[in-house]
Amino acid sequence: MTSLIAPEAPSPSPPRTVGSRHVGRWVWAVVVLVLVVWALRSVALNPAFGWGTVAQYVLTPSVLRGLATTLLLTLATTVVGFLLGIGLAAMRLSGNPVLSSVSWAYVWLFRSTPLLVQLLFWYNVGALYPQLSLGIPFGPTFFSVESVNLVSVLVAALLGLILHEAAYAAEIVRGGILSVDAGQSEAAVSLGMTRARVLRRIVLPQAMRSIIPATGNMVIGTLKGTSIVSVIAVTDLLYSVQTIYNRTYEIIPLLLVATVWYVILTSILSVGQYYVERYYARGAERTLPPTPLQRLRRWFS
Amino acid sequence: MSLLEIRGLTKAFAGTTVLDGVDLDVEAGSVTVLVGPSGSGKSTLLRCINHLETPDAGTIEVDGSLVAYRRDGDVLRELPERTIAAQRRRIGMVFQQFQLFGHMTALANVVEAPIGVLGVPRREALERGRALLARVGLAGREDAYPRQLSGGQQQRVAIARALAMEPTLMLFDEPTSALDPALVGEVLEVLRDLAAGGTTMVVVTHEIAFAREVADTVVVLQDGRIARSGPPSEVLDDRSVRVA
Repeated sequence: MTSLIAPEAPSPSPPRTVGSRHVGRWVWAVVVLVLVVWALRSVALNPAFGWGTVAQYVLTPSVLRGLATTLLLTLATTVVGFLLGIGLAAMRLSGNPVLSSVSWAYVWLFRSTPLLVQLLFWYNVGALYPQLSLGIPFGPTFFSVESVNLVSVLVAALLGLILHEAAYAAEIVRGGILSVDAGQSEAAVSLGMTRARVLRRIVLPQAMRSIIPATGNMVIGTLKGTSIVSVIAVTDLLYSVQTIYNRTYEIIPLLLVATVWYVILTSILSVGQYYVERYYARGAERTLPPTPLQRLRRWFS
Repeated sequence: MSLLEIRGLTKAFAGTTVLDGVDLDVEAGSVTVLVGPSGSGKSTLLRCINHLETPDAGTIEVDGSLVAYRRDGDVLRELPERTIAAQRRRIGMVFQQFQLFGHMTALANVVEAPIGVLGVPRREALERGRALLARVGLAGREDAYPRQLSGGQQQRVAIARALAMEPTLMLFDEPTSALDPALVGEVLEVLRDLAAGGTTMVVVTHEIAFAREVADTVVVLQDGRIARSGPPSEVLDDRSVRVA
Protein backbone atom coordinates (compact mmCIF):
# COMPACT_ATOMS: atom_id res chain seq x y z
CA MET A 1 0.00 0.00 0.00
CA THR A 2 1.33 3.41 -0.91
CA SER A 3 1.41 6.17 1.54
CA LEU A 4 -0.88 9.14 0.92
CA ILE A 5 1.77 11.39 2.30
CA ALA A 6 4.50 12.17 -0.21
CA PRO A 7 7.89 10.95 0.93
CA GLU A 8 10.17 13.71 1.99
CA ALA A 9 12.53 13.91 -1.01
CA PRO A 10 15.55 16.15 -0.94
CA SER A 11 14.31 19.12 -3.05
CA PRO A 12 16.77 20.11 -5.82
CA SER A 13 16.66 23.58 -7.42
CA PRO A 14 13.31 24.07 -9.27
CA PRO A 15 13.35 23.07 -12.99
CA ARG A 16 14.31 25.94 -15.27
CA THR A 17 12.05 26.97 -18.17
CA VAL A 18 13.01 26.93 -21.87
CA GLY A 19 11.13 29.10 -24.40
CA SER A 20 9.57 27.71 -27.58
CA ARG A 21 11.95 27.54 -30.59
CA HIS A 22 9.43 29.19 -32.95
CA VAL A 23 10.33 27.03 -35.96
CA GLY A 24 7.65 28.72 -38.10
CA ARG A 25 9.19 32.14 -37.49
CA TRP A 26 12.57 30.98 -38.76
CA VAL A 27 11.08 29.45 -41.91
CA TRP A 28 9.11 32.57 -42.78
CA ALA A 29 12.01 34.86 -42.04
CA VAL A 30 14.22 32.94 -44.48
CA VAL A 31 11.53 32.85 -47.20
CA VAL A 32 10.86 36.59 -46.95
CA LEU A 33 14.56 37.49 -46.81
CA VAL A 34 15.23 35.51 -49.98
CA LEU A 35 12.40 37.36 -51.76
CA VAL A 36 13.70 40.75 -50.57
CA VAL A 37 17.27 40.03 -51.71
CA TRP A 38 16.00 38.81 -55.06
CA ALA A 39 13.92 41.99 -55.55
CA LEU A 40 16.75 44.32 -54.52
CA ARG A 41 19.18 42.52 -56.81
CA SER A 42 16.85 42.87 -59.78
CA VAL A 43 16.32 46.59 -59.10
CA ALA A 44 20.05 47.17 -58.79
CA LEU A 45 21.12 45.15 -61.82
CA ASN A 46 18.32 45.90 -64.34
CA PRO A 47 19.91 48.50 -66.64
CA ALA A 48 16.44 49.92 -67.50
CA PHE A 49 16.33 51.58 -64.07
CA GLY A 50 19.24 53.73 -65.25
CA TRP A 51 20.80 54.45 -61.86
CA GLY A 52 23.65 56.28 -63.59
CA THR A 53 21.16 58.69 -65.14
CA VAL A 54 19.43 59.10 -61.76
CA ALA A 55 22.72 60.13 -60.17
CA GLN A 56 23.37 62.51 -63.03
CA TYR A 57 20.08 64.40 -62.62
CA VAL A 58 19.29 64.20 -58.92
CA LEU A 59 21.13 67.44 -58.08
CA THR A 60 20.62 69.47 -61.28
CA PRO A 61 19.44 73.06 -60.73
CA SER A 62 16.05 72.62 -62.42
CA VAL A 63 15.25 69.58 -60.25
CA LEU A 64 16.34 71.47 -57.14
CA ARG A 65 14.17 74.45 -58.13
CA GLY A 66 11.22 72.09 -58.55
CA LEU A 67 12.03 70.60 -55.16
CA ALA A 68 11.99 74.11 -53.63
CA THR A 69 8.55 74.77 -55.15
CA THR A 70 7.25 71.47 -53.78
CA LEU A 71 8.57 72.36 -50.33
CA LEU A 72 7.06 75.85 -50.50
CA LEU A 73 3.66 74.45 -51.54
CA THR A 74 3.76 71.85 -48.76
CA LEU A 75 4.76 74.36 -46.09
CA ALA A 76 2.25 77.04 -47.11
CA THR A 77 -0.57 74.53 -47.53
CA THR A 78 0.07 72.94 -44.14
CA VAL A 79 0.52 76.15 -42.15
CA VAL A 80 -2.29 78.21 -43.69
CA GLY A 81 -4.54 75.17 -44.11
CA PHE A 82 -4.26 74.32 -40.43
CA LEU A 83 -4.76 77.92 -39.27
CA LEU A 84 -7.98 77.99 -41.30
CA GLY A 85 -8.81 74.51 -39.99
CA ILE A 86 -8.50 75.68 -36.36
CA GLY A 87 -10.84 78.58 -37.17
CA LEU A 88 -13.32 76.25 -38.88
CA ALA A 89 -13.22 73.81 -35.96
CA ALA A 90 -13.81 76.65 -33.47
CA MET A 91 -16.74 77.86 -35.60
CA ARG A 92 -18.18 74.36 -35.79
CA LEU A 93 -18.02 73.91 -32.00
CA SER A 94 -19.27 77.42 -31.17
CA GLY A 95 -22.74 78.06 -29.85
CA ASN A 96 -23.53 80.24 -32.86
CA PRO A 97 -25.78 78.21 -35.20
CA VAL A 98 -24.86 80.28 -38.26
CA LEU A 99 -21.09 79.89 -37.76
CA SER A 100 -21.52 76.22 -36.98
CA SER A 101 -23.60 75.56 -40.11
CA VAL A 102 -21.28 77.54 -42.39
CA SER A 103 -18.30 75.59 -41.08
CA TRP A 104 -20.14 72.31 -41.63
CA ALA A 105 -21.12 73.33 -45.16
CA TYR A 106 -17.54 74.36 -46.00
CA VAL A 107 -16.16 70.99 -44.92
CA TRP A 108 -18.96 69.20 -46.74
CA LEU A 109 -18.32 71.07 -50.00
CA PHE A 110 -14.52 70.88 -50.04
CA ARG A 111 -14.45 67.23 -49.07
CA SER A 112 -17.07 66.38 -51.69
CA THR A 113 -15.05 67.45 -54.73
CA PRO A 114 -11.74 66.01 -55.95
CA LEU A 115 -8.69 68.19 -55.36
CA LEU A 116 -7.91 68.03 -59.08
CA VAL A 117 -11.31 69.49 -59.95
CA GLN A 118 -10.84 72.29 -57.40
CA LEU A 119 -7.40 73.11 -58.82
CA LEU A 120 -8.83 73.34 -62.34
CA PHE A 121 -11.56 75.65 -61.00
CA TRP A 122 -9.02 78.05 -59.50
CA TYR A 123 -6.89 77.82 -62.63
CA ASN A 124 -9.90 79.01 -64.62
CA VAL A 125 -11.23 81.46 -62.05
CA GLY A 126 -10.88 84.25 -64.60
CA ALA A 127 -13.80 82.76 -66.50
CA LEU A 128 -16.03 82.98 -63.40
CA TYR A 129 -14.87 86.35 -62.09
CA PRO A 130 -12.98 88.28 -64.78
CA GLN A 131 -12.32 91.08 -62.27
CA LEU A 132 -11.43 90.80 -58.61
CA SER A 133 -12.09 93.84 -56.39
CA LEU A 134 -11.26 94.79 -52.85
CA GLY A 135 -14.07 96.60 -51.04
CA ILE A 136 -16.94 96.20 -48.62
CA PRO A 137 -19.59 93.59 -49.56
CA PHE A 138 -22.62 95.40 -51.05
CA GLY A 139 -20.65 98.64 -50.45
CA PRO A 140 -17.95 100.72 -52.12
CA THR A 141 -15.02 99.21 -54.04
CA PHE A 142 -11.48 100.35 -53.32
CA PHE A 143 -9.68 98.85 -56.31
CA SER A 144 -9.99 95.99 -58.74
CA VAL A 145 -7.65 93.92 -60.90
CA GLU A 146 -7.99 91.47 -63.76
CA SER A 147 -8.19 87.95 -62.36
CA VAL A 148 -5.68 86.57 -64.86
CA ASN A 149 -3.11 89.03 -63.58
CA LEU A 150 -3.63 88.19 -59.93
CA VAL A 151 -4.24 84.46 -60.05
CA SER A 152 -1.05 83.04 -61.53
CA VAL A 153 -0.73 79.27 -61.77
CA LEU A 154 1.16 79.27 -58.48
CA VAL A 155 -1.58 81.26 -56.72
CA ALA A 156 -4.23 78.99 -58.22
CA ALA A 157 -2.29 75.97 -56.92
CA LEU A 158 -1.93 77.50 -53.45
CA LEU A 159 -5.62 78.45 -53.25
CA GLY A 160 -6.72 74.99 -54.32
CA LEU A 161 -4.37 73.14 -51.98
CA ILE A 162 -4.97 75.39 -48.95
CA LEU A 163 -8.77 75.50 -49.13
CA HIS A 164 -8.88 71.73 -49.62
CA GLU A 165 -6.44 71.14 -46.75
CA ALA A 166 -8.45 73.43 -44.43
CA ALA A 167 -11.53 71.19 -44.72
CA TYR A 168 -9.58 68.10 -43.63
CA ALA A 169 -7.59 70.00 -41.00
CA ALA A 170 -10.87 71.29 -39.50
CA GLU A 171 -12.03 67.72 -38.89
CA ILE A 172 -8.68 66.69 -37.40
CA VAL A 173 -8.66 69.67 -35.03
CA ARG A 174 -12.32 69.19 -34.11
CA GLY A 175 -11.67 65.55 -33.25
CA GLY A 176 -8.71 66.59 -31.10
CA ILE A 177 -10.74 69.20 -29.22
CA LEU A 178 -13.54 66.71 -28.57
CA SER A 179 -10.98 64.27 -27.13
CA VAL A 180 -10.24 66.67 -24.23
CA ASP A 181 -12.45 66.18 -21.16
CA ALA A 182 -15.10 68.92 -20.92
CA GLY A 183 -14.19 69.21 -17.23
CA GLN A 184 -10.88 70.82 -18.28
CA SER A 185 -12.78 73.74 -19.81
CA GLU A 186 -14.99 74.04 -16.73
CA ALA A 187 -11.94 74.15 -14.47
CA ALA A 188 -10.37 76.80 -16.70
CA VAL A 189 -13.43 79.08 -16.93
CA SER A 190 -13.96 78.82 -13.19
CA LEU A 191 -10.47 80.35 -12.83
CA GLY A 192 -11.80 83.37 -14.74
CA MET A 193 -10.41 82.53 -18.19
CA THR A 194 -12.31 83.59 -21.31
CA ARG A 195 -13.33 80.89 -23.79
CA ALA A 196 -10.71 82.03 -26.31
CA ARG A 197 -8.00 81.74 -23.65
CA VAL A 198 -9.28 78.32 -22.56
CA LEU A 199 -9.04 77.08 -26.15
CA ARG A 200 -5.52 78.45 -26.64
CA ARG A 201 -3.91 77.60 -23.31
CA ILE A 202 -5.79 74.56 -22.00
CA VAL A 203 -7.72 72.67 -24.69
CA LEU A 204 -5.57 72.93 -27.85
CA PRO A 205 -2.27 71.91 -26.18
CA GLN A 206 -3.93 68.76 -24.85
CA ALA A 207 -5.79 68.17 -28.12
CA MET A 208 -2.40 68.17 -29.90
CA ARG A 209 -1.72 64.67 -28.63
CA SER A 210 -4.43 63.25 -30.84
CA ILE A 211 -4.06 65.92 -33.55
CA ILE A 212 -0.36 65.25 -34.27
CA PRO A 213 -0.52 61.68 -35.64
CA ALA A 214 -3.37 62.60 -37.99
CA THR A 215 -1.51 65.77 -38.96
CA GLY A 216 1.65 63.80 -39.71
CA ASN A 217 -0.42 61.74 -42.12
CA MET A 218 -1.84 64.93 -43.63
CA VAL A 219 1.55 66.63 -44.12
CA ILE A 220 3.02 63.56 -45.81
CA GLY A 221 -0.12 63.26 -47.92
CA THR A 222 0.14 66.95 -48.81
CA LEU A 223 3.83 66.66 -49.76
CA LYS A 224 3.04 63.95 -52.26
CA GLY A 225 -0.34 65.46 -53.14
CA THR A 226 1.33 68.65 -54.34
CA SER A 227 2.53 66.66 -57.37
CA ILE A 228 -1.03 67.04 -58.67
CA VAL A 229 -0.33 70.72 -59.41
CA SER A 230 1.89 69.62 -62.30
CA VAL A 231 -1.31 69.31 -64.33
CA ILE A 232 -1.78 73.08 -64.23
CA ALA A 233 1.89 73.58 -65.19
CA VAL A 234 3.27 74.60 -61.81
CA THR A 235 6.99 73.77 -61.95
CA ASP A 236 7.08 71.53 -58.88
CA LEU A 237 9.37 68.52 -58.46
CA LEU A 238 7.32 66.21 -60.66
CA TYR A 239 6.80 68.84 -63.38
CA SER A 240 10.56 69.56 -63.43
CA VAL A 241 11.50 65.95 -64.09
CA GLN A 242 8.70 65.65 -66.65
CA THR A 243 10.15 68.64 -68.49
CA ILE A 244 13.50 66.88 -68.65
CA TYR A 245 12.23 63.47 -69.77
CA ASN A 246 10.01 65.05 -72.41
CA ARG A 247 13.31 66.18 -73.93
CA THR A 248 15.53 63.13 -73.24
CA TYR A 249 12.96 60.29 -73.10
CA GLU A 250 14.68 58.88 -69.97
CA ILE A 251 11.30 58.47 -68.32
CA ILE A 252 12.02 55.82 -65.67
CA PRO A 253 15.32 57.27 -64.36
CA LEU A 254 13.79 60.74 -64.04
CA LEU A 255 10.70 59.44 -62.27
CA LEU A 256 13.18 57.74 -59.92
CA VAL A 257 14.84 61.14 -59.33
CA ALA A 258 11.48 62.50 -58.14
CA THR A 259 10.85 59.31 -56.13
CA VAL A 260 14.20 59.57 -54.34
CA TRP A 261 13.42 63.15 -53.28
CA TYR A 262 9.86 62.32 -52.16
CA VAL A 263 11.19 59.40 -50.09
CA ILE A 264 13.90 61.57 -48.49
CA LEU A 265 11.42 64.33 -47.58
CA THR A 266 8.82 61.89 -46.26
CA SER A 267 11.48 60.21 -44.10
CA ILE A 268 12.53 63.56 -42.63
CA LEU A 269 8.88 64.38 -41.89
CA SER A 270 8.35 61.02 -40.18
CA VAL A 271 11.31 61.61 -37.88
CA GLY A 272 10.02 65.12 -37.16
CA GLN A 273 6.59 63.72 -36.31
CA TYR A 274 8.15 61.33 -33.80
CA TYR A 275 9.78 64.16 -31.89
CA VAL A 276 6.74 66.46 -32.03
CA GLU A 277 4.58 63.63 -30.68
CA ARG A 278 7.08 63.14 -27.88
CA TYR A 279 6.92 66.83 -27.01
CA TYR A 280 3.14 66.80 -26.69
CA ALA A 281 3.19 63.57 -24.67
CA ARG A 282 4.54 65.62 -21.72
CA GLY A 283 2.33 64.89 -18.77
CA ALA A 284 0.35 62.28 -20.68
CA GLU A 285 2.74 59.51 -19.74
CA ARG A 286 4.46 58.98 -16.45
CA THR A 287 7.89 58.65 -18.02
CA LEU A 288 8.81 59.16 -21.66
CA PRO A 289 10.51 56.22 -23.40
CA PRO A 290 14.06 57.00 -24.61
CA THR A 291 14.44 58.24 -28.19
CA PRO A 292 16.10 55.87 -30.72
CA LEU A 293 19.28 58.00 -30.44
CA GLN A 294 19.33 57.72 -26.66
CA ARG A 295 18.71 53.98 -26.97
CA LEU A 296 21.62 53.68 -29.42
CA ARG A 297 23.93 55.58 -27.09
CA ARG A 298 22.90 53.44 -24.13
CA TRP A 299 23.63 50.34 -26.25
CA PHE A 300 27.22 51.41 -26.88
CA SER A 301 28.00 52.79 -23.44
CA MET B 1 -25.06 91.35 4.80
CA SER B 2 -23.96 87.84 3.92
CA LEU B 3 -21.07 87.15 1.55
CA LEU B 4 -23.26 84.80 -0.49
CA GLU B 5 -27.00 85.35 -0.81
CA ILE B 6 -29.18 83.01 -2.85
CA ARG B 7 -32.89 83.74 -3.27
CA GLY B 8 -35.49 81.56 -4.99
CA LEU B 9 -32.96 79.63 -7.10
CA THR B 10 -34.80 77.38 -9.53
CA LYS B 11 -33.39 75.07 -12.17
CA ALA B 12 -34.87 72.27 -14.27
CA PHE B 13 -33.08 69.85 -16.61
CA ALA B 14 -35.33 68.71 -19.47
CA GLY B 15 -38.50 69.16 -17.44
CA THR B 16 -37.15 67.63 -14.21
CA THR B 17 -36.94 70.20 -11.43
CA VAL B 18 -33.52 69.97 -9.78
CA LEU B 19 -33.63 73.13 -7.68
CA ASP B 20 -36.96 74.42 -6.47
CA GLY B 21 -36.75 77.88 -4.94
CA VAL B 22 -33.59 77.55 -2.84
CA ASP B 23 -32.70 80.33 -0.38
CA LEU B 24 -29.25 80.25 1.20
CA ASP B 25 -27.06 82.69 3.13
CA VAL B 26 -23.36 82.16 3.76
CA GLU B 27 -21.57 84.51 6.12
CA ALA B 28 -18.02 85.65 5.43
CA GLY B 29 -15.50 83.36 7.12
CA SER B 30 -17.99 80.55 7.69
CA VAL B 31 -18.05 76.96 6.48
CA THR B 32 -21.31 75.69 4.98
CA VAL B 33 -21.62 71.99 4.22
CA LEU B 34 -24.27 70.83 1.76
CA VAL B 35 -25.47 67.27 2.29
CA GLY B 36 -28.35 65.20 1.02
CA PRO B 37 -29.08 62.08 -1.03
CA SER B 38 -27.62 61.91 -4.57
CA GLY B 39 -29.82 63.67 -7.08
CA SER B 40 -31.01 66.15 -4.47
CA GLY B 41 -29.42 69.07 -6.35
CA LYS B 42 -26.31 69.74 -4.22
CA SER B 43 -23.85 69.88 -7.10
CA THR B 44 -26.22 71.85 -9.32
CA LEU B 45 -26.65 74.44 -6.57
CA LEU B 46 -22.88 74.74 -6.22
CA ARG B 47 -22.34 74.97 -9.99
CA CYS B 48 -24.96 77.72 -10.29
CA ILE B 49 -22.95 79.88 -7.89
CA ASN B 50 -20.12 80.39 -10.41
CA HIS B 51 -22.45 80.09 -13.40
CA LEU B 52 -21.26 76.71 -14.68
CA GLU B 53 -25.00 76.00 -14.76
CA THR B 54 -27.56 78.55 -15.90
CA PRO B 55 -30.42 78.93 -13.43
CA ASP B 56 -33.98 79.32 -14.70
CA ALA B 57 -34.97 81.82 -12.02
CA GLY B 58 -33.68 83.31 -8.80
CA THR B 59 -30.76 85.47 -7.78
CA ILE B 60 -27.23 84.73 -6.59
CA GLU B 61 -25.25 87.57 -5.05
CA VAL B 62 -21.63 87.34 -4.01
CA ASP B 63 -20.28 90.28 -2.02
CA GLY B 64 -23.37 92.31 -2.84
CA SER B 65 -23.31 91.96 -6.64
CA LEU B 66 -25.36 89.66 -8.84
CA VAL B 67 -23.37 86.81 -10.41
CA ALA B 68 -23.58 86.65 -14.22
CA TYR B 69 -26.71 88.80 -14.51
CA ARG B 70 -27.95 92.35 -14.28
CA ARG B 71 -31.42 93.24 -13.13
CA ASP B 72 -33.63 94.74 -15.81
CA GLY B 73 -37.12 95.37 -14.41
CA ASP B 74 -38.44 91.96 -13.43
CA VAL B 75 -36.00 89.90 -15.51
CA LEU B 76 -32.31 89.09 -15.14
CA ARG B 77 -30.23 89.61 -18.27
CA GLU B 78 -27.07 87.52 -18.69
CA LEU B 79 -23.88 89.59 -18.69
CA PRO B 80 -21.24 89.37 -21.45
CA GLU B 81 -18.68 86.58 -21.18
CA ARG B 82 -15.80 88.84 -20.12
CA THR B 83 -17.75 90.27 -17.20
CA ILE B 84 -18.72 86.80 -15.99
CA ALA B 85 -15.08 85.72 -16.33
CA ALA B 86 -14.05 88.65 -14.16
CA GLN B 87 -16.62 87.71 -11.50
CA ARG B 88 -15.43 84.10 -11.47
CA ARG B 89 -11.93 85.19 -10.41
CA ARG B 90 -13.37 85.85 -6.94
CA ILE B 91 -15.00 82.42 -6.72
CA GLY B 92 -12.69 79.43 -6.42
CA MET B 93 -13.91 75.97 -7.38
CA VAL B 94 -12.56 72.50 -6.63
CA PHE B 95 -13.97 69.56 -8.59
CA GLN B 96 -14.63 65.94 -7.75
CA GLN B 97 -12.35 64.78 -10.59
CA PHE B 98 -9.58 67.35 -9.78
CA GLN B 99 -9.38 68.56 -13.40
CA LEU B 100 -5.76 69.58 -13.20
CA PHE B 101 -4.41 70.67 -16.58
CA GLY B 102 -2.66 67.50 -17.69
CA HIS B 103 -0.04 69.16 -19.89
CA MET B 104 1.28 71.39 -17.10
CA THR B 105 3.35 70.70 -14.00
CA ALA B 106 1.84 71.21 -10.54
CA LEU B 107 3.42 74.66 -10.25
CA ALA B 108 2.38 75.66 -13.79
CA ASN B 109 -1.21 74.64 -12.93
CA VAL B 110 -1.15 76.95 -9.92
CA VAL B 111 0.36 80.01 -11.66
CA GLU B 112 -1.44 79.74 -15.01
CA ALA B 113 -4.45 81.89 -14.10
CA PRO B 114 -2.66 84.42 -11.84
CA ILE B 115 -0.21 85.18 -14.66
CA GLY B 116 -2.59 84.85 -17.61
CA VAL B 117 -5.77 86.27 -16.12
CA LEU B 118 -4.73 88.59 -13.28
CA GLY B 119 -1.45 89.71 -14.88
CA VAL B 120 0.63 88.97 -11.79
CA PRO B 121 4.36 89.27 -12.66
CA ARG B 122 5.83 85.85 -13.38
CA ARG B 123 8.47 85.85 -10.65
CA GLU B 124 5.97 86.92 -8.00
CA ALA B 125 3.38 84.36 -9.17
CA LEU B 126 5.94 81.55 -9.07
CA GLU B 127 7.03 82.53 -5.57
CA ARG B 128 3.43 82.58 -4.33
CA GLY B 129 2.68 79.35 -6.20
CA ARG B 130 5.53 77.57 -4.41
CA ALA B 131 4.29 78.89 -1.08
CA LEU B 132 0.75 77.65 -1.81
CA LEU B 133 2.00 74.19 -2.80
CA ALA B 134 3.98 74.10 0.44
CA ARG B 135 0.85 75.12 2.34
CA VAL B 136 -1.05 72.08 0.98
CA GLY B 137 1.92 69.86 1.85
CA LEU B 138 3.42 69.50 -1.62
CA ALA B 139 6.74 71.31 -1.31
CA GLY B 140 9.21 69.53 -3.59
CA ARG B 141 6.56 68.30 -6.05
CA GLU B 142 6.39 71.54 -8.06
CA ASP B 143 7.69 69.94 -11.25
CA ALA B 144 5.55 66.80 -11.14
CA TYR B 145 2.89 66.37 -13.80
CA PRO B 146 -0.62 65.53 -12.56
CA ARG B 147 -0.33 61.94 -13.78
CA GLN B 148 2.73 61.45 -11.59
CA LEU B 149 0.76 62.41 -8.47
CA SER B 150 -1.68 60.38 -6.38
CA GLY B 151 -5.35 61.39 -6.33
CA GLY B 152 -4.97 63.07 -2.95
CA GLN B 153 -1.93 65.03 -4.13
CA GLN B 154 -3.74 66.08 -7.32
CA GLN B 155 -6.70 67.34 -5.33
CA ARG B 156 -4.38 69.33 -3.07
CA VAL B 157 -2.76 70.93 -6.15
CA ALA B 158 -6.28 71.75 -7.38
CA ILE B 159 -7.02 73.48 -4.08
CA ALA B 160 -3.76 75.46 -4.33
CA ARG B 161 -4.67 76.41 -7.91
CA ALA B 162 -8.02 77.81 -6.78
CA LEU B 163 -6.46 79.63 -3.82
CA ALA B 164 -3.87 81.27 -6.09
CA MET B 165 -6.62 83.60 -7.39
CA GLU B 166 -7.22 84.80 -3.82
CA PRO B 167 -10.97 84.16 -4.04
CA THR B 168 -13.43 85.55 -1.52
CA LEU B 169 -15.45 82.33 -1.70
CA MET B 170 -14.33 78.73 -2.20
CA LEU B 171 -16.65 76.05 -3.60
CA PHE B 172 -15.86 72.35 -3.15
CA ASP B 173 -17.84 69.85 -5.22
CA GLU B 174 -17.43 66.45 -3.50
CA PRO B 175 -13.66 66.97 -3.18
CA THR B 176 -12.99 63.52 -1.69
CA SER B 177 -15.52 61.34 -3.55
CA ALA B 178 -13.05 60.23 -6.23
CA LEU B 179 -10.32 59.33 -3.75
CA ASP B 180 -9.17 56.05 -2.23
CA PRO B 181 -10.35 55.94 1.40
CA ALA B 182 -6.72 56.11 2.52
CA LEU B 183 -6.23 59.45 0.72
CA VAL B 184 -9.39 61.20 1.94
CA GLY B 185 -7.75 62.29 5.19
CA GLU B 186 -4.97 64.37 3.62
CA VAL B 187 -7.47 66.42 1.58
CA LEU B 188 -9.83 66.95 4.51
CA GLU B 189 -6.79 68.07 6.52
CA VAL B 190 -6.23 70.89 3.99
CA LEU B 191 -9.93 71.84 4.17
CA ARG B 192 -9.75 71.94 7.97
CA ASP B 193 -6.68 74.17 7.75
CA LEU B 194 -8.47 76.56 5.34
CA ALA B 195 -11.55 76.68 7.59
CA ALA B 196 -9.38 77.50 10.59
CA GLY B 197 -7.75 80.27 8.53
CA GLY B 198 -11.09 81.96 7.95
CA THR B 199 -11.70 81.04 4.28
CA THR B 200 -15.39 81.22 3.35
CA MET B 201 -16.28 77.77 2.06
CA VAL B 202 -19.28 75.94 0.65
CA VAL B 203 -18.61 72.20 0.59
CA VAL B 204 -20.70 69.48 -1.00
CA THR B 205 -19.69 66.21 0.68
CA HIS B 206 -20.79 62.85 1.99
CA GLU B 207 -18.23 63.02 4.83
CA ILE B 208 -20.65 63.46 7.74
CA ALA B 209 -17.87 63.29 10.33
CA PHE B 210 -16.11 66.16 8.57
CA ALA B 211 -19.36 68.18 8.50
CA ARG B 212 -19.87 67.61 12.20
CA GLU B 213 -16.35 68.75 13.01
CA VAL B 214 -15.78 71.70 10.67
CA ALA B 215 -19.14 73.08 9.49
CA ASP B 216 -20.71 76.19 10.99
CA THR B 217 -23.90 75.42 9.11
CA VAL B 218 -25.12 72.14 7.66
CA VAL B 219 -27.71 72.43 4.89
CA VAL B 220 -29.70 69.35 3.92
CA LEU B 221 -31.09 69.33 0.38
CA GLN B 222 -33.91 67.03 -0.56
CA ASP B 223 -35.69 66.99 -3.94
CA GLY B 224 -34.30 70.41 -4.81
CA ARG B 225 -35.39 72.07 -1.59
CA ILE B 226 -33.68 72.86 1.65
CA ALA B 227 -35.10 70.31 4.08
CA ARG B 228 -33.13 71.45 7.10
CA SER B 229 -30.47 73.98 7.90
CA GLY B 230 -28.59 74.83 11.08
CA PRO B 231 -25.60 74.00 13.27
CA PRO B 232 -24.28 70.46 12.73
CA SER B 233 -25.24 69.26 16.21
CA GLU B 234 -28.92 70.07 15.57
CA VAL B 235 -29.18 68.95 11.96
CA LEU B 236 -27.05 65.80 11.90
CA ASP B 237 -28.64 64.28 15.00
CA ASP B 238 -32.15 64.87 13.73
CA ARG B 239 -33.33 61.40 12.68
CA SER B 240 -36.16 62.86 10.54
CA VAL B 241 -33.85 64.11 7.77
CA ARG B 242 -31.85 62.01 5.31
CA VAL B 243 -28.36 63.43 5.12
CA ALA B 244 -26.91 60.96 2.62
